[in-house]
Amino acid sequence: MSPDPAQAQRRTKQVGHILNMERIEKRFGVVKALDGVDFTLEAGEIHALLGVNGAGKSTLIKILSGVYSKDAGTIRLGGAELELGSPRAAIEAGIACVQQHPELVGDLTGAENIFLGDEALRAGLFQRMDRRALRARAQALLSRFPVEVDLNAKVADMPAVDREIVAILHALRRDDIRILILDEPTSTLTEREKASLFRLMRSLKAAGIAIIYITHRLEEVFEIADRFTVFRAGRNVASFTASEARAQGISIPTLMLDRESGDIFPARDGDGTGTPVLEVTDLSREGQFRNVSFAARRGEILGLFGLVGSGIDELSKTLFGALAADGGTIRLHGREQRFRSPAEALRKGMFLVPGDRRAEGLTLDEDVVFNTTLANPGRSAGLAGLLRFGSNRRATAELATRVALQPPRLDRPARAFSGGNQQKIVIAKGLYCKADVYIFVEPTVGVDIGARATLYQIMRDLSREAAVIVMSSDCDEVHGLADRTLALYKGRPIGEPRRGTSRDDLLSAGIMGAVPA
Amino acid sequence: MTRSTILWRGLAFVALLAIIALVFQSQSAAYLSSGNLRALARHMSVQGLAALGLTFVIVVRQYDLSFPGVASLGAMTLGWLIASGAPLSLAIAGGIGVGAAIGLVNGIAVARFRLPDIVTTIATGGVAIGLSYFYSNGTSISENFFMSGILDINDRRVLGLDQPFAILAGVALVAFVLLHATRFGHAFYATGENRVSARFSGVPVERYVLVAFALSGAGACLAITLLVASSGAANVTAGNQLLMPAFAAVYLGAALFGRPSVGATLAGTLLMSAMLNGFTLLAIPYYYSDAIVSTVLILAIAGFDPRITAVLGQPFRRTSEARP
Repeated sequence: MSPDPAQAQRRTKQVGHILNMERIEKRFGVVKALDGVDFTLEAGEIHALLGVNGAGKSTLIKILSGVYSKDAGTIRLGGAELELGSPRAAIEAGIACVQQHPELVGDLTGAENIFLGDEALRAGLFQRMDRRALRARAQALLSRFPVEVDLNAKVADMPAVDREIVAILHALRRDDIRILILDEPTSTLTEREKASLFRLMRSLKAAGIAIIYITHRLEEVFEIADRFTVFRAGRNVASFTASEARAQGISIPTLMLDRESGDIFPARDGDGTGTPVLEVTDLSREGQFRNVSFAARRGEILGLFGLVGSGIDELSKTLFGALAADGGTIRLHGREQRFRSPAEALRKGMFLVPGDRRAEGLTLDEDVVFNTTLANPGRSAGLAGLLRFGSNRRATAELATRVALQPPRLDRPARAFSGGNQQKIVIAKGLYCKADVYIFVEPTVGVDIGARATLYQIMRDLSREAAVIVMSSDCDEVHGLADRTLALYKGRPIGEPRRGTSRDDLLSAGIMGAVPA
Repeated sequence: MTRSTILWRGLAFVALLAIIALVFQSQSAAYLSSGNLRALARHMSVQGLAALGLTFVIVVRQYDLSFPGVASLGAMTLGWLIASGAPLSLAIAGGIGVGAAIGLVNGIAVARFRLPDIVTTIATGGVAIGLSYFYSNGTSISENFFMSGILDINDRRVLGLDQPFAILAGVALVAFVLLHATRFGHAFYATGENRVSARFSGVPVERYVLVAFALSGAGACLAITLLVASSGAANVTAGNQLLMPAFAAVYLGAALFGRPSVGATLAGTLLMSAMLNGFTLLAIPYYYSDAIVSTVLILAIAGFDPRITAVLGQPFRRTSEARP
């Protein structure tokens, strides 16, 4: 039975809410993750869950999707009380969840991934997938939820947003799903990709599906959500419709944090008089960036703003010796360098905090000490390469304090930490190397606002002892954090690094290539 | 891994070992006799050395299927050198060196030229078997063995242990320190778990893959040296019995202890040898015991898979639960 929007609305009018969660409690050992949370969802609304990491929003959706069991409280769905013992029970009840990093099979097409597990089987010896039936079912799904995506492409070849769309359609392959939960679907998407995800979300909404959606990007709330609920320390502290919040001038960051925090950026204090540590002249790499020149000094933060495709990611990897340059020079402490490998760049005092920390920055199954000390074996090991276990642990503990790692559990695998804290582990690894130049690429993607402020402060403190370069597709981040800024547009630097470039000038340079006046 | 998880896993291992011992002891009173336990230890020494070498390859998440063939070539090289009157130490070094050299070829092919490891090592293993016929057209070599002293390797006792077992203990200790107490060990694991992040952390990943294959080849040839010493002849089929038990030992250990490691491999080898020795004692034909070893291998592979270990419950989970 497919949900009829009109009928769904009638039901809402009668009952008020499609979903009522009352006085939900959940404890993990001594930690009270949820302390009497109330949450309501109206049929066909897009409802954003906001809150810093550990505020309780993930725990709540895990209870709602049957992954965790609640300790106390009631869940009512369409008026009837409900016990969700397993993810399967939640799906049977019409609640589907898309994880933050959905696991898809790269070698299969989008359509095959959507119906993975219940493929239309053709009778016969090998029960081969009936591709035609599969395509027809995928087409039927697409006509219910119109969105532009090529479901015949292999998932491995798809852009991030198409993978997200495939994961959503996978969750919706049953036609009795009424509530869809999306856990940070936009954290790895570019602006344009975000727009096409939002189109899909709107068409789901039009089909009568209510969406619960976790995000750290506050600006999205007004773009896509009808309503939002803010969590803090295991409680729901506020719930507004987007229009109420706009009319009343509600500050969401203030609601999320206990302290009043208008500005999450530390004061700029670079005076630009430090000695240049890294000088880059006319650096080029075929098809990716060309004639990039800048100098990074100790005592300041240099910001490079560029969208995906602007070449900042490749530029960072070229500076770090992971890609080869076609032309131009890199000077470190005045001496020309040609790094043949990241190992050589590291030895000479460069450190890259890469843009994709899970794929490029961490050994996820190993603990914090392992990850922190990996990049500087000269310090972590002595005679015959024997590890100095005691001093490595002490140094890691010290760095964990410095970067405010939460929780400061050094024997946990990196995988067990939240996005922001995983980033802190990568930074601790960099600090352990005592490098002269630190390059941060997209440092706060998928990081909540509380941890962001901490990361910015760490970067500012670091700039007093080393040259810090921040490369990001977040214009506010580059503008708010850096002493001098430069925009890259389609691989081309727009002007030169300057102090005091306005946010709007930086933005138009980065998105249109407009030269600032 | 927390201390209590290690304890649980250790207990699971002891329980498995006890079950195996009980089953065989009930079938044959000789199973736990000192004579049989010494035979078991000898068997374990050969299998353990091959499995330890293979452990490095598994840690860097590659496969080596060449080592049985390489071991045969090592055996024939050793036999030929002894037969032609070379000093024993040179003969042994020659056999092991051949293994390391073919391992290096594997490593270069896989790490440098990005050839698929399974097919490549099947091929190099085939080449090694072909080359092993070169020395004697395939007949076994035992000339000069009595004079050379190679048999003493098997017969000598060190610190109250049979020398083969003492060699295993020594090699295991070195491998343990290398893999678990040095920066090189961390680099092996980093290379296996996330090659990109390892490279960005300054680890020369290609070199580690290369060395892992070389260690696998050398380990197999060291193992075969013990086998040649105990059988008194070098044979072109000497390496055939290494493949399944070595893989089963590494995977069984990894499944029991959460990831491949020196301790896990030794535990896996002990379980495998305890079973194989029991089968021999009960005179169960080799084709049945092969089938059972293969079954164990499949179960162990399933146990190494995190999706399956997750189902088995908390003590066997490889990573701790993510934070709420």
